[in-house]
Amino acid sequence: MQIVVLAKVVPDYEVPSADFELVENRAHPRYTRMIGLYDENAVEVGVQLKEKLGADLTIVSYGLSDDVQFLRKALAMGADKIVLVEGNSDDPYVIAANLKDAIDRQGSVDLVLAGRQSSDMDRGVVPGLLAGMLDYPFVPQACSVENVDGGWKIAQITETGKRLMKLTGKGVLSITSVPENVPRIPAVKAIFAAKKKPVEKLAEIGARSMSISELSVTIPKMESVCELIPAEDMDDAVRVLLRRLKEERFL
Amino acid sequence: MERVPYWNISHGLLIDLLSLPALAVFGYGIYRHWCRIRQGKASIRLGLTLDALKLGPVYVRSFLTRGIVGTPIYKKLFTGIAHGLLFWGMVLLSVGTMLVFANVLFKLPVFKGEFNRLFMGLTLDAAGLAALAGVLFLLIRRLFPPERLTCFKANSAFILIEAGIIAIIVTGFFIEGARIAQTGVDPGSFVGNWLAAQLAGLGTLPAIHRYLWWTHGLISLALIAYIPYSPLVHLVLAPANAGLDIPLPGPKMGVIDFEAFEGEGDETPSLGVSKLADFSRKNLLDISTCLKCGRCHEVCPAAQTGKRLSPKGVMVTLAEYLQQGKMDDDSLLDTISIDAIYSCTTCAACMEACPVAVNQPNAILRMRQHLLMERSEIPDIMGQAHRSLEARHHPFVGTGFGPNDWRKGLDVPFYEKDTTEYLLWIGCSVAYEERTQNIARAMVAILKNAGVSFGILEENRCTGDPAKQMGNEFLFTEIAGQNIEEFNELGVTRVITLCPHCFNSFTRHYPLLGAKFDVIPHAVLIRNLIEAGTIRLANSGQAICYHDPCYLGRHNSVLSDPRQVVSSVGQLVEMPRSGCESFCCGAGGGNYWTEEEGTRINQTRAKEALDTGAVTIATACPFCMLMLTDGLKKFTEEQMVKDIAELVCSQMEA
Repeated sequence: MQIVVLAKVVPDYEVPSADFELVENRAHPRYTRMIGLYDENAVEVGVQLKEKLGADLTIVSYGLSDDVQFLRKALAMGADKIVLVEGNSDDPYVIAANLKDAIDRQGSVDLVLAGRQSSDMDRGVVPGLLAGMLDYPFVPQACSVENVDGGWKIAQITETGKRLMKLTGKGVLSITSVPENVPRIPAVKAIFAAKKKPVEKLAEIGARSMSISELSVTIPKMESVCELIPAEDMDDAVRVLLRRLKEERFL
Repeated sequence: MERVPYWNISHGLLIDLLSLPALAVFGYGIYRHWCRIRQGKASIRLGLTLDALKLGPVYVRSFLTRGIVGTPIYKKLFTGIAHGLLFWGMVLLSVGTMLVFANVLFKLPVFKGEFNRLFMGLTLDAAGLAALAGVLFLLIRRLFPPERLTCFKANSAFILIEAGIIAIIVTGFFIEGARIAQTGVDPGSFVGNWLAAQLAGLGTLPAIHRYLWWTHGLISLALIAYIPYSPLVHLVLAPANAGLDIPLPGPKMGVIDFEAFEGEGDETPSLGVSKLADFSRKNLLDISTCLKCGRCHEVCPAAQTGKRLSPKGVMVTLAEYLQQGKMDDDSLLDTISIDAIYSCTTCAACMEACPVAVNQPNAILRMRQHLLMERSEIPDIMGQAHRSLEARHHPFVGTGFGPNDWRKGLDVPFYEKDTTEYLLWIGCSVAYEERTQNIARAMVAILKNAGVSFGILEENRCTGDPAKQMGNEFLFTEIAGQNIEEFNELGVTRVITLCPHCFNSFTRHYPLLGAKFDVIPHAVLIRNLIEAGTIRLANSGQAICYHDPCYLGRHNSVLSDPRQVVSSVGQLVEMPRSGCESFCCGAGGGNYWTEEEGTRINQTRAKEALDTGAVTIATACPFCMLMLTDGLKKFTEEQMVKDIAELVCSQMEA
């Protein structure tokens, strides 16, 4: 049995907004890079399945050659190998096509897990596109997976509730975070072992991109506009404050 | 008439002969302890050269002061005095007994003249009274014990021991009295002479004397034989433990060499401690020496605020495992509980309070290392901080600030190779919290005002110390290695720290990883600047109470410098718990990132500071500042907590 987890290395997704700046429409390269937030949840789900089923666990990523050092964390968490397609496209179709190519080269793959959305582009479309290309069913927002008589019992969680499903055969799941899939802290021995696990790098294949082009990128600006309300008389100050809040339509 | 040993006793030498089996039983008991302790691993070498006299493995000063004189026990004055009277009384009485043996065996003339009157009479009777008074105090305290003695486990064998000692002393006095009543007044023996007067005329005196004599001798021998099988073994183990304890404050964790893990072999050592056999010999000696007196329990910020941890509780569990020979039982950590192991703030108040030089935090941190590095177990919030440290090299998860926000709009020079004298190390706790950023700005203003040549790193970083305190020695080693490399490239030789945790890490652990630079805490540097007259301050005369950060005070003995700084800007007020007895703010050991159970430590400490009536609460640690500021919110809306750098900055005259 082989399980594939898709992981994307992204700039620190917790950079405070006051400190966030763009270079050429993307996050400044000074920010630390790391595996995306939900991708780590997907890796954790994969590792748990691997431990239960004795499956092989492969991490497939599309990104920069330097990303391997960050992807190694997934190996330390328990994955067996990394396959990295080297490329720098942001086009979801190109990314999905390249991931499909990499997955096809892995022989028989039983299950593909991905984070529900990347932590930089936040689109959440690649897993769905990939499922279409692989001709696999796609279940978004999954939080847990169990192997039951030849298929997969999947819990899908949304803001409004939880749905249990059974998937027969292969599939692509995008994973959301729940307390049960908080990524583990790799044990030190596993970190050292990860240094010896195989890393395969593939060249990008040409793929048709979507007919979408980026016009501009802007980020919210932090601004503080301060208006002082005289507070000599507290009752009066409260009245003024309420009036102003209503005028500005905050209330 | 001169006293005749074994007067009225036939075959008295039997006691001397019986002392041989008693000593053999004693020796065997000590040997058993020795074997148990030898099962531990060799201690990690700290690689620091200490300016301390050492004979073999024994630190002489510590052996004599903490081991023999027992200085720490006098921190509880009455108990200390009682223990002192008993111990030194018994020492003198033992010397007296040895002299009697020497008289019998080698005809040493001890019963003659002034020596007999002043030592064998006066001194020994006084010693007997002193020991009796001491042991009575201790017995009464055992019978009506404070909570610290009984929590987790009461060392009730002490009651038997104390009863035995009382029996020995009382029979001793009556033997003396019975003898004197029949042989005439013995000069100097004021207790014996008085008792003799009371006993005079009893017809059965020779028989009473004989029975008491044998009882006295046999109980004494029995007690000697019992020593290694009872808490009395501290007579041997406490001095040994004090002598073998490296005379440095703090838990003395050393560093771990991870090179063994790089190789091809599958056999890598297990990290940290999961079972007794993983402990060092010093740890096992600690466990064997602990008397369960609970002084650590009384001062522990975790134990005193309703957490699952008590250092005494941990030692009791460890001692039970050791007693039962469970050297390889790895249920140990779960028995102590993960919560307890992570609740330790590493403040080392327990070590400071311990009368027998036990290093409790070392044992706790070694278990923590295993939990994190082998079992990947860590409480949730601390785990998030840990993950942030791993990915971003700072633990302030969810911070609203970038690494350089603290110096926005401020002209701060960068450290330049061969030109700048001091590297001003900012660290994580100053950079990523709004309240603490001002410490760095104040320090920059002070250094500029004083004309000190300083610079900062272009990229602010963390020492990695939080990783170490959370138990991840590996991550610490990695971060420290990168820092040392950068320092070497920049040619940094002198570093100013704003955070005592950085200071401790730089001075205690970095040198073991190859760092060679001097570090000065900002408290000391500011004091030097004030003393040299480089900066002049206006004294506000306001009452300022000073909270000792554990890692500056207790761990590094920097106590007077920050106080001098406070005294030069205001009027210093002390809290009930200050200096080496200071109470932790609660942030240490990674517990800045925790969901506290029970009462909050920072509120307890903030209240203590508030109760001094001071207008300002000064400290010299960004973590303490954050904790106390937060703790104070329960009691007042005033922003009373200030770093000493801020205080100096605001009172600085141009």
